[in-house]
Amino acid sequence: MYVIVTYDIEQERVGKILKVCRKYLNWVQNSVFEGEITQAKFEKLKLELQENIERSRDSVRFYIISDKTLVTVEVLGQEKGSTSFMY
Amino acid sequence: MAEPIYIFSDGILKRKENTILLETKDGKRHIPVENVSEINIFSEVDLNKRLLEFLTEKQIIVHFFNHFGYYVGSYYPREFLNSGLVILKQAEHYLNSEKRLLLARMFVKGALCNIINTLKKYNDDDQFAERIQSIRNHVENLILCSEVNQLMALEGNAREIYYSCFDRMIKSEHFQFGSRTKRPPENELNALMSFANSLLYTTVLSQIYRTHLDPRIGYLHSTNNRRFTLNLDIAEIFKPVLVDRMILTLVNRKQIKPTDFHQIAGGISMKESAKKLLVQTFEERLQDTIHHAKLKRQVSYRSLIRMEAYKIEKHILEDEEYEPYLG
Repeated sequence: MYVIVTYDIEQERVGKILKVCRKYLNWVQNSVFEGEITQAKFEKLKLELQENIERSRDSVRFYIISDKTLVTVEVLGQEKGSTSFMY
Repeated sequence: MAEPIYIFSDGILKRKENTILLETKDGKRHIPVENVSEINIFSEVDLNKRLLEFLTEKQIIVHFFNHFGYYVGSYYPREFLNSGLVILKQAEHYLNSEKRLLLARMFVKGALCNIINTLKKYNDDDQFAERIQSIRNHVENLILCSEVNQLMALEGNAREIYYSCFDRMIKSEHFQFGSRTKRPPENELNALMSFANSLLYTTVLSQIYRTHLDPRIGYLHSTNNRRFTLNLDIAEIFKPVLVDRMILTLVNRKQIKPTDFHQIAGGISMKESAKKLLVQTFEERLQDTIHHAKLKRQVSYRSLIRMEAYKIEKHILEDEEYEPYLG
């Protein structure tokens, strides 16, 4: 499955969330990650995030797409990060 | 599913905050470690033991290629699937000449049958009918071989017939196959084939790493002190299906042009843009799925390679006799 993660986190915890997301997904913009992920890894990611957020103040959204081919991405302006497997 | 990554830019690869960081002159890129199955390095990259330790922990294998795109070697992390039984059985099947011959014959059979299938795809107006028949005869003669060397000779013979069809399968006047040349390849098509074959070898090796099998013990290719051989055996079966058809498509669609190559001492080498195109196409091909009749579901070519390894494991454990994949 393909997941897009966006988050709105208070400054003191934002770095922590960034680091967690970097392990699982590709960074595409400030506070936005996306990429192919297995169900199991996705559950792990959610657990790790849960441990690091303040539930009453922070917010993380997951857009879950069953198949990568269902997403078309268009970009205006700068392409900041990419999901390419070639570096 | 975790995917392989390919590195073409120079820089430093390191462990940073429990993930992988690639630092290049254009900036830093974080690579999501949980989603990486293997790393292929084509450029000049500095790395340290701390990274290798981290990659071992994450069971990520690293393949290195030199400036010309030749396979140099792999960082093969400590085996995480240990099975003394499988290794013993693997060795038994190597040391017992009858058992070894049986497996080696299956690899050649798979390779030749897939060669025939590939030829059939390009067989307009029956132009290859005669040669297909002659390769078929070779397949039938496999049973007469009583030594691995004879199998190799037969395979070599059939391959020559196969390669002699290439110039008619290629619909571009700029490319000529001639005959197979290596180290270094003497023309563009041979360069493409060498590069794509090494991509296939490492792909198979990475899949073997995820089984109990030891890649050092091969059956068609003699086991020696130098290198992994089981991946070469399995790759033979997939070469016509994955590599040869891909090259023919790329050349016939003119996606690969004569300007994608340059001369090196004694041969021809691919430019970086062409290598990237080949990696991209090969990766797409590996992710392509086909319907698997036995499993009754869609399976990618990469999984198919892993399943081939499982089939060999089953064979040596005398569970189910090995039959090569035909595509």
